[in-house]
Amino acid sequence: MTTEPTSAHPAKPADPAAVEHGETQPAAKAPAIGAGETQPAAKAPAIGAGETQSAAKAPAIAAGGWSGSGAPIVTAGLTKRFRSGQVAVDAIDLEVPAGSIFGFLGPNGSGKTTTIRMLLGLIAPTSGSVELLGEPMPKAQLSVLPRVGALVEGPAFYPFWTGQANLLRFDAADRTADPRTRKARAGHALERVGLSNAAGKKVRNYSLGMRQRLAIAVALMQPRDLLVLDEPTNGLDPQGTREVRSLIRELANDGTTIFTSTHLLAEVEQLCTHAAVMSRGRLLRQSTMTELRSELRPRLVVRTPDLQQAERTLTGLGVTDVKRTDEFVDGDPGELPIDKLAAALVAADVRIHGFGIERPSLEDAFVALTGEGFDVAE
Amino acid sequence: MVPVTAVAVVAGVGALGPVVADASPDLPGITAQDLLAKVQTAKVDGLSGTVTSSTDLGLPAIPGLGADAAKFTDLLTGKHTARVAFAAPDKARISVIDQMAERTVTTDGKTAWVYDSSRREATKLALPAHPGKPEVAPEKQAYDPQAVAKQFLAAIDPSTKVEVSGTEKVAGRDAYKLRLIPKTDKTTVGSVTLAIDSKTWIPLEVTVMPRTGKDPAVQLGFSSVSFSTPDSSTFSFTPPKGVKVTEQKLPTARHIEPKGLPKPNATKPGAKPGMVKPGMGMADRDKPTVVGKAWESVLVLRGAKLPADVGPLGQLLAKARTVQGTWGSGKILTTKMVSALITDDGRVFVGLVTPDTLEAAAAKAPR
Amino acid sequence: MAAEVVERTPVARPSAGRHTVALFASELHLVFGRARTWVLLAVLAAVPILIGVAIKLSGSSGDAEGFLGQVAGNGFFLVVASLALSLPFFLPTAVTVISGESLAGEASLGTLRNLITAPAGRSRLLAAKMVALALFCLAATMTIWVSGLIVGIVLFPVGDVVLLSGTTVSLADGLFRALGIALLIATSLLGLAGIGLFVSSLTSTPLAAMAATFCAFIVFGILGAIPQIHVIHPWLLMYGWTSFADLLRDPPYWHEIGRNLLMQGAYLAVFYAAAWARLTSRDVNG
Repeated sequence: MTTEPTSAHPAKPADPAAVEHGETQPAAKAPAIGAGETQPAAKAPAIGAGETQSAAKAPAIAAGGWSGSGAPIVTAGLTKRFRSGQVAVDAIDLEVPAGSIFGFLGPNGSGKTTTIRMLLGLIAPTSGSVELLGEPMPKAQLSVLPRVGALVEGPAFYPFWTGQANLLRFDAADRTADPRTRKARAGHALERVGLSNAAGKKVRNYSLGMRQRLAIAVALMQPRDLLVLDEPTNGLDPQGTREVRSLIRELANDGTTIFTSTHLLAEVEQLCTHAAVMSRGRLLRQSTMTELRSELRPRLVVRTPDLQQAERTLTGLGVTDVKRTDEFVDGDPGELPIDKLAAALVAADVRIHGFGIERPSLEDAFVALTGEGFDVAE
Repeated sequence: MVPVTAVAVVAGVGALGPVVADASPDLPGITAQDLLAKVQTAKVDGLSGTVTSSTDLGLPAIPGLGADAAKFTDLLTGKHTARVAFAAPDKARISVIDQMAERTVTTDGKTAWVYDSSRREATKLALPAHPGKPEVAPEKQAYDPQAVAKQFLAAIDPSTKVEVSGTEKVAGRDAYKLRLIPKTDKTTVGSVTLAIDSKTWIPLEVTVMPRTGKDPAVQLGFSSVSFSTPDSSTFSFTPPKGVKVTEQKLPTARHIEPKGLPKPNATKPGAKPGMVKPGMGMADRDKPTVVGKAWESVLVLRGAKLPADVGPLGQLLAKARTVQGTWGSGKILTTKMVSALITDDGRVFVGLVTPDTLEAAAAKAPR
Repeated sequence: MAAEVVERTPVARPSAGRHTVALFASELHLVFGRARTWVLLAVLAAVPILIGVAIKLSGSSGDAEGFLGQVAGNGFFLVVASLALSLPFFLPTAVTVISGESLAGEASLGTLRNLITAPAGRSRLLAAKMVALALFCLAATMTIWVSGLIVGIVLFPVGDVVLLSGTTVSLADGLFRALGIALLIATSLLGLAGIGLFVSSLTSTPLAAMAATFCAFIVFGILGAIPQIHVIHPWLLMYGWTSFADLLRDPPYWHEIGRNLLMQGAYLAVFYAAAWARLTSRDVNG
């Protein structure tokens, strides 16, 4: 339980995201993009702000293990160098706030899955540390992991067994799972992912999408504090993707922190409250979605045959960052009134074929950040 | 670290275990003569135990011999285990533990049985009444053990040094080691050591060391022993159903092997050097003779037909060194314990001696 | 500004209990719930049938020595002969398949990561694998025992049992000894199972693990057949395997049996420890 007063961090309101937090309702009810800041300001690890570390490390108050007072995932200098010498993950400092839906974004091969493997104790870091739910990994994995639902690098099952049998096996591996309720919990988990009808079918006969759902069902066998999902919508059809996303929102509403990796920008845009961007093993950026969006300034786009004239006029009016292409001129109008700009262009004998404000997509921002393209299918 | 520890523990148990068990016990000193005298008086009502023998005479493996010959050479090489039991005065049982089989010889004093489990054959031998008894027991008591020991030592003194060479644990019992060392260098035998139990004065082990090398040529002794008298049912034998039974009558009882105390030597096959070349086609009518004395004794066989230069034995001989002398010429075969000279005129000289000694014997021996 | 608190009770289940055996039960389900396992057991069950039918058709045991030669006279010996004949090849092959599959199979399916994040605990997972392997060894020998007994009773007269020492004991005594033999042979296979488990922890390809384990078995066999290195023979994996027959002596000769059990224990300890070291430090990438 968190009882930290926001007043403990008077410096915070300087952070726009934090301001917004202060005004947010107990987040769980607002999973919509941008408004879904589900934690008090004290825990918002605002991007790049050094002092957020101290906020995250505020002492837990409630007794009895992790109480939600610290960030569910904290890494410090986490590095993985493979035996080949390749540095898959390069000194990343992640901090995933409690209650967030945290999008872990990066192109394929950028080190997302390797990071997730280290988070879950599957592979040992070369250096750096991981703290999961306030406890060090992999040392405390036996006590921590029962509270973490995980889906790592695609679904993996015994193809010769039914979906239900697979669920039972992985649940049996968790010694804190009650065997008496096992079947009932499996049934419930299958129902939540829409696999009730296929429970008795051998996984060999499942489609990739069904396997993906089954993998999510494994994570749902128990109530969890944290879900770590590696590309949860991979292989799903649009309908399935929608279902899984709404399931994730539902789980977040119940208070579960969700850490989901994806190479799909759209997913982050639609689903996440926070995002971090990986590229070539480095963590380029982590922030709230709100903040990311606020940085995307609208651009004025003028389509005209008189490109040079338009450029000159706009620059003269105080539009910054003016760029000229073969078909249009664009720039950042800042606070300048749009109607005045249009009038000024007309006055300058610029023939206007098109005139408007365009909001750049997140993709543009991330491409700018990573220098790489994203798979934006969907 | 864990696997390293596991390996270390396993290796330690494997290597140190026997060392600890073999620590020399502390026993009061004793002279060779006293020890021999004690052996004379040794008397047990019964015993049972396991005897193991390991024989390494350095014989070459001769493939292609017949099954019977193989069975015989099998006893001359490698390791064997037998369970023995004895009850005074004339009950005995020896079971040779073979792999997934067993060869048993047992007698209750009246009847002896030989059973071979792999062939499922039993042989019954009816024994003459009380054959061995007057031979052993009364005679033993008629002598003064000390005097016998003294005579024995005097008799072998010219050829052999006898000493008590220490103590050791054999079959978990404290034992003295009585060592016999040939004084001649013409034999291949380095020493013969008897381990004699310090309580019952029964020999527990015999070890024959070659003159060269560190490994015993023959080692035969108890690996476990108990001196309580076995139940008489141990020595009875009922031929099982479905087993072929052959009955035999023995003309005399003198040569029945399992009679009396099954001393380790009783099963020691290597003690008869004349038989190390089975399948030689030796003629029965030519009686073997012995040339030389004590350790230098050489057994002479006549009428041996040299096998043709085919077959494994022929190949072996073809590779053998050819020697010549006033006595003629022949082939010499040597192993670390046994040497054999096969002359072109069909004589065979065999002994636990050096090849030179064989040649000398050939020169002296009558044709 | 009022403290904005996410009212939320952590889902920790500290008193949910420790259901440690569930994984072991699940592991048995995995081994014995697979068609492959049953095919292996069926092949083993066929050994007594083949031997029995062959002897029955030929009308007699011929001049066969040892246990095989006694089958026609007493069906009981079909149990012992089948166990003895399965020991050099069929049983090790079956153990090789199951043990090679154990960890490498999980790694190749990717289920190893699910188990570790469950979390099964790597040490406990290894223990569960080994227990399941040991029980498979027992199931394998017991399959031959039962099949041999049934076929023996159906095809041949069955009666009192002649031991190697020439003593005759009741059929019940004989069957009890044969049960002991099945148990001993199962135990004899543990060393090989340990090797297989270790090899299986090294790779994510079950077939490679099986092949490597079987190679190790063959190498032991070859080493055991070279007389020049007889000094190491007593330390080879299969040296004491035939000691099971010592149960059919009167009285049983325990020395070699005990030695073999110690040897198997030593092989198992070394390779289990190696597998443990490997699994607990392994990067699970599969």
